[in-house]
Amino acid sequence: MNRYIYIIPEAIGRSFLRICASIGSIAVFFYDFVLCLITPPIYIKSLLSQLVRIGYNSLPVIGLTAFFTGGVLALQIYVGGSRFNAENIVASIVALGITRELGPVIAGLMLAGRVSASISAEIATMRVTEQIDALVTLSTNPMKYLVVPRVLAAVISLPILVIIADIIGIMGGFVVGTKSLGFIEQSYIKNTLDIIELRDVMSGLIKAAVFGFIVAFMGCYHGYKSTGGAQGVGRSTTLAVVSASILILASNYILTSLVFTN
Amino acid sequence: MDHILKIKNLSKSFGDKSVLNNLSINIERNKSQVIIGGSGTGKSVLLKCILGLIEPDNGEIYFNELILDKKSRADTDFHSKIGMLFQGAALFDSLNVQENITFGIKKIGEKTDNLKDIAVDKLRKVGLDSTVLDLYPSELSGGMQKRVALARAIARTPEILFFDEPTTGLDPIMADIINDLINEVIEEVGATAITITHDMESARKIADKISMLYEGNVIWTGDAKDINDSQNPYVDQFINGKSEGPIKINLND
Repeated sequence: MNRYIYIIPEAIGRSFLRICASIGSIAVFFYDFVLCLITPPIYIKSLLSQLVRIGYNSLPVIGLTAFFTGGVLALQIYVGGSRFNAENIVASIVALGITRELGPVIAGLMLAGRVSASISAEIATMRVTEQIDALVTLSTNPMKYLVVPRVLAAVISLPILVIIADIIGIMGGFVVGTKSLGFIEQSYIKNTLDIIELRDVMSGLIKAAVFGFIVAFMGCYHGYKSTGGAQGVGRSTTLAVVSASILILASNYILTSLVFTN
Repeated sequence: MDHILKIKNLSKSFGDKSVLNNLSINIERNKSQVIIGGSGTGKSVLLKCILGLIEPDNGEIYFNELILDKKSRADTDFHSKIGMLFQGAALFDSLNVQENITFGIKKIGEKTDNLKDIAVDKLRKVGLDSTVLDLYPSELSGGMQKRVALARAIARTPEILFFDEPTTGLDPIMADIINDLINEVIEEVGATAITITHDMESARKIADKISMLYEGNVIWTGDAKDINDSQNPYVDQFINGKSEGPIKINLND
């Protein structure tokens, strides 16, 4: 009987210890990453190739997502606004919503699905096929060669992608607003330009840089720590996407509430 | 006797499972030393400890009389003095054959113009020609991957060559070709070779000396020619592949 009393506390204790171990492991990985980031060499060729893979190749996905998000936002704001005879706020809300929130968050989440998964799978496969060990035997620090270029590329790429996503998202709202909801083109553009301030765009770009770091870092971390063959590769990919997505939404709230509310 | 590598009282455990137990072994310079043993006896862990891929719990490893630890490996650029042939070749998927072979050479500042010539030369040594230079690992057969990996291992003219199960996954003819190739490159490069394997045909063909590992320790070392007359019941059971004998296989491992 006594044995059963301890089942739940034991499970809670085990989970707590596992979480502590994970946080410690991520902290050590981050420390190694920072050390490698600030000491030469930086693999420029690898960085450029990652900029193309992470940034340029993500353009179609993020562009399409932003366009439809802007369009559906215009439709929803129009429906909601019409209940208060405030249909005119569509352009303003679309512009603010996209630049301050939806642009960076949607781009971050899309990048988590596309890039975090691919980084994690690639590095995990390198781990299980001993390619990471081979790097060490060839006098190459895997952290410098694999992790630093990917994280740097994501931190640089995502703000640029978000600027493009902002423009395409607002265009999506514009197309729906003018072609479907009957807004006049000139007034829609004027309302948009009147409401947007530099700080709205900047807050989105700072968030984007943070999300870019989270996406690549979690992909690299879970890939690097992968064990257990093909099953381990699958597990690390899932963990990378899930943890990056949750951290993006959590850090978005923290950044918004602490820094960007005013 | 001139030992290039000395390992003293090496121990390594994973959780409560002890893999290496106070293991000591010396490796003679310019000899081919093969370490045999069943699965789970600690062969791979020993190799990874020497290479610095795993930190041992206790014990010392000396390379040219200098103790090897994280700092001395970096200070002496230990990895530039070794070559390693991994069990699955471990070629970099994203790089072509030339880039794979010259990957380590670029690290020591070789001029880019020379890299192609070096890659062709190393390919020739492993019986391949320049037609494969631009191919990627996924376009090569298993045997060709092993050859390219061997070319990469000898590219920096290492002092020690490590071979991890070099014939695993190859058909018997290709395995024999790889064994011949290993003998040729060891002779040509003039390196010391350390091979871990459980393939006795391979061991007999490439070894000057053989050591057998059992339960994380060396239980026999001798000349390759003496292995059939070792007077050691563990060695006899292993090299003859008998299920009956002092070696008990834990099927749960």
